[in-house]
Amino acid sequence: MSAANVTIRDALYEAPGPKTKKRIRFFTVVSLVVLAALIFLIIRQFYVTGQLDAKYWSLFTRLTTWKFLAGGLAGTLKVALVSSVVSFAIAFLMMVGRISKNKIVSWISTALIELSRGIPTLLFIYFFFLVAPQLGLKLPTFWKITLPVALSAAGVVAEVLRSGVNAVPKGQTEAAVALGMRDATVFTKIVFPQAFRYVIPSLISELVIVLKDTTFAYVVSYADLMQNARVLISNYDALLSVYLVTALIYILINYLLNKASVAVARHRSAVPGATK
Amino acid sequence: MAQEQNKTERSEQTPVIELRHVDKHYGSLHVLKDVNLSVQKGEVVVIIGPSGSGKSTLCRTINRMETIDAGEILIDGEHLPEEGKKLAQLRSEVGMVFQSFNLFAHKTILDNVTIGPREVLHTPKKEAQEEALRLLKRVGVDTQAHKVPAQLSGGQQQRVAIARTLAMHPKAILFDEPTSALDPEMIGEVLDVITELAKEGMTMVIVTHEMNFARRVADRIIFVDHGVILEENTPEAFFTQPKTQRARDFLNTLKGRDK
Repeated sequence: MSAANVTIRDALYEAPGPKTKKRIRFFTVVSLVVLAALIFLIIRQFYVTGQLDAKYWSLFTRLTTWKFLAGGLAGTLKVALVSSVVSFAIAFLMMVGRISKNKIVSWISTALIELSRGIPTLLFIYFFFLVAPQLGLKLPTFWKITLPVALSAAGVVAEVLRSGVNAVPKGQTEAAVALGMRDATVFTKIVFPQAFRYVIPSLISELVIVLKDTTFAYVVSYADLMQNARVLISNYDALLSVYLVTALIYILINYLLNKASVAVARHRSAVPGATK
Repeated sequence: MAQEQNKTERSEQTPVIELRHVDKHYGSLHVLKDVNLSVQKGEVVVIIGPSGSGKSTLCRTINRMETIDAGEILIDGEHLPEEGKKLAQLRSEVGMVFQSFNLFAHKTILDNVTIGPREVLHTPKKEAQEEALRLLKRVGVDTQAHKVPAQLSGGQQQRVAIARTLAMHPKAILFDEPTSALDPEMIGEVLDVITELAKEGMTMVIVTHEMNFARRVADRIIFVDHGVILEENTPEAFFTQPKTQRARDFLNTLKGRDK
């Protein structure tokens, strides 16, 4: 799989000897057979129950279906993108607050981070969907899904950023301070840029979680990929086929995100940055 | 201004660095005990002593990389405060070179040298770059200007660190074991740069284990053990006839080790 996996495997296990190689071959064959059998069973079950009938799949020959799904996908990406940006901004503030020398600010930020990490996304959504309107806060549908997803991710992102800040060697700060830089300059010019590079792969992983969280959009009836898939299902009465195609689209996007993360990680270790 | 003039006149005699009755504890460990030290303009003071003697800590208190519990530190006659703008300003006037180089890992070599003048002295970009290139040439790494620190050898990195410090036009430079993290074959190139600075009259405080270098470059040797300055002497006198038993023992162990 990814380059990272290979190196971890290399680090954990010694190179296989002849007996081990034989054993690996044996189990490879067995698992392939089992896998093939499973796939066969699944497809057979689909066939038996009539899920492979043309009426369930013909909708995908129509351009309008794809246009509809593409519209949903655009909604999903919009929510994911804006959530990520908002989430990053909130996370950055909470992280800076948490590492602040001011005890009270630090304590409050820590509490907020824990709240954000501890509350499920769906609860945040119910708050903005059901509770907030009663308190007089009426948001457009887009924000009813985007804000909760952002808030729910912010705590984790804050901690990811903080782990990056902690990973920057103390010598970097000392060198900056010795040049006469003030705290704010040290942080913005020296520490944070390096911390950010360290955590780019983790941030992209978090992006995957944000993207998955956007599927809650159906709760507030925002037209994202999931919501549009549900519309298709009720229009065509085609549950399995639509869910399968939708799942494939999500897998594809998240796969690309993970690829990007690996590429970034490799680029970072290949060129500058992370020594000492 | 009369005051300004007074200050410049005074600085003829005022030590560039002065420590008065400095005390420091790490928990129950008393690492610096009533340390008094003054370094005159143009003087090269080399601090030596066994590991754990407090020599590095002593060096690091001078620009408050380490806090002190009692006593006072003066830079060119001005009190080193505990925090704030004034502390940053005084730090900018005293350069520091670290054991582990501490070049900014995300910046190019050139940016490492310009960032101090740019951010602290607000030097225009072009001017800062021109001077940085001049300094990099002086320490012999100008051809590496557009690489990042990780691509350089330890010796090259440490020379860049010296250039980074020089770019601030410091009144004095502190060297905290500048060659201890280097492979043996790279020690010489760094010591050569420091020797060159000494010849040019730079005020320096150097913590080192390189005794031959110490003897060659120092105007004065400070021998520290258990947080106390045990001996202050010229290099000749210190290395030929140390006054204290502990200094004799220390030098003998080194001799035994060397050959």
